[in-house]
Amino acid sequence: MAIIFKGFKETIFRTLPLIVLFYICISEFHTQFFYWKIFSFNLQFIIIYYWILRDPSILGYGFVFLAGLTNDVVLNLPLGTSALSYLFVSLVAAYVRNATVRSSLFTDWFTFIIAILIGNFLYYFLMNNFSDLGLSYTDLFYNSLFTFILFPAFWLIFDIYKKIFISRVND
Amino acid sequence: MSTSRDDFGIAIRSALLQRGAKQKFSLFVLILLSAFIFALDNTNLKPIKILRSILNDGVYRISAISSSPIKFSSATKNFFSNHILVYNENKKLRSELNSLKERKFENLYLETENKKLQEILNIEKESVFQTTTAKVIIDKNSPYLNSVVLNKGTSAGIKLGMPVLSNGYLAGRIVEVNFFSSRVLLLNDLNSRIPVVISPNGSQAILLGSGKKKPNLEYLPENFEMNETNLVFTSGKDGVFYDGISIGQVVFEDDKIKVDLFSDPNQLLFVNVVVDKIIDIGGK
Repeated sequence: MAIIFKGFKETIFRTLPLIVLFYICISEFHTQFFYWKIFSFNLQFIIIYYWILRDPSILGYGFVFLAGLTNDVVLNLPLGTSALSYLFVSLVAAYVRNATVRSSLFTDWFTFIIAILIGNFLYYFLMNNFSDLGLSYTDLFYNSLFTFILFPAFWLIFDIYKKIFISRVND
Repeated sequence: MSTSRDDFGIAIRSALLQRGAKQKFSLFVLILLSAFIFALDNTNLKPIKILRSILNDGVYRISAISSSPIKFSSATKNFFSNHILVYNENKKLRSELNSLKERKFENLYLETENKKLQEILNIEKESVFQTTTAKVIIDKNSPYLNSVVLNKGTSAGIKLGMPVLSNGYLAGRIVEVNFFSSRVLLLNDLNSRIPVVISPNGSQAILLGSGKKKPNLEYLPENFEMNETNLVFTSGKDGVFYDGISIGQVVFEDDKIKVDLFSDPNQLLFVNVVVDKIIDIGGK
């Protein structure tokens, strides 16, 4: 019984980041505030980048791809736009993981700029060239800026979560 | 120099092709698959459209269900904030009531006069539009797009381009129709363009969504004199919308002529989709 409960707890803790990612993509969860229009951030980028970089066993690439497709359907974007954008963020995270020996908050934070730039450039390029939907470059810039600024806060939250729950589960 | 280039190549190759214990697909395969799906979606083939429509219907339903906790918390917050505001509102209403009482007699006279004039002009008091009521099931604001999803689609006679009203005022137009759901592009969306006419002088302009709460009025005549009593209606010049649907009031903000919408894009719960016009008032 204790073994079954431990296994169940382990599964829940390890799947929670994935559940959060899907929930943000599929629900009405807003990362934009109407009364302060310029403040918006891409929480999906932060989740994907952190977990692919720090513990890839938590977030499979297949799930990142599916989360992107779900986001496209909910926001009525051409199918594959967000999926491509998320997968390129994953690529940067996987590259950084392979190329660096010791990583810290600061190394992760500054390499995250490359991930945001590539992810949002791809998004802008696809929307601008292959879709009739208009896109405000300024809004995209503010979104990238606030995503970058907020990364350390989420990094700390995820790091605490990882240390308390996932590391303990692995012991 | 060549060593660092080799290192970069090895790390990128490894990131693209490596599959860990939990990774069933490599990034390379998934990127190719995404690009293929993107290309397929852009072809506008009928089977793909039908497939996307079915996918949309399914995902919208799941999205509506999964959003219920957010809707519930938002409704609870509104409920409590409304109760807190009730005291102040009551005081304000009392003073308004006193001034309204004074105007009551004046209004009674005007009402009688209006009735008589209506009898003379034989104006229809019913709504001029035949509408179908739909519920907003998803109201997800992306940082760039402002649209809502309705619980009715082609099965209820909804078609692309149909105007959508909220409390009798224009709120947007249908931009995507599935069998059981449809999507409304709101007036404040960056992609929204509506030809309008401004009363009382009849100037014509285009109402451009800016992503903010109040859309802009563009292409106004050079000698346009702004007045806070100017009202904005659809002109029907695009051949898609009916003319004379109320939109909002002209305001001047941030050095721009904007429109304060009568329908609040953040408060849409039930809307009316105009499926037909009963009486053409413009032709009368």
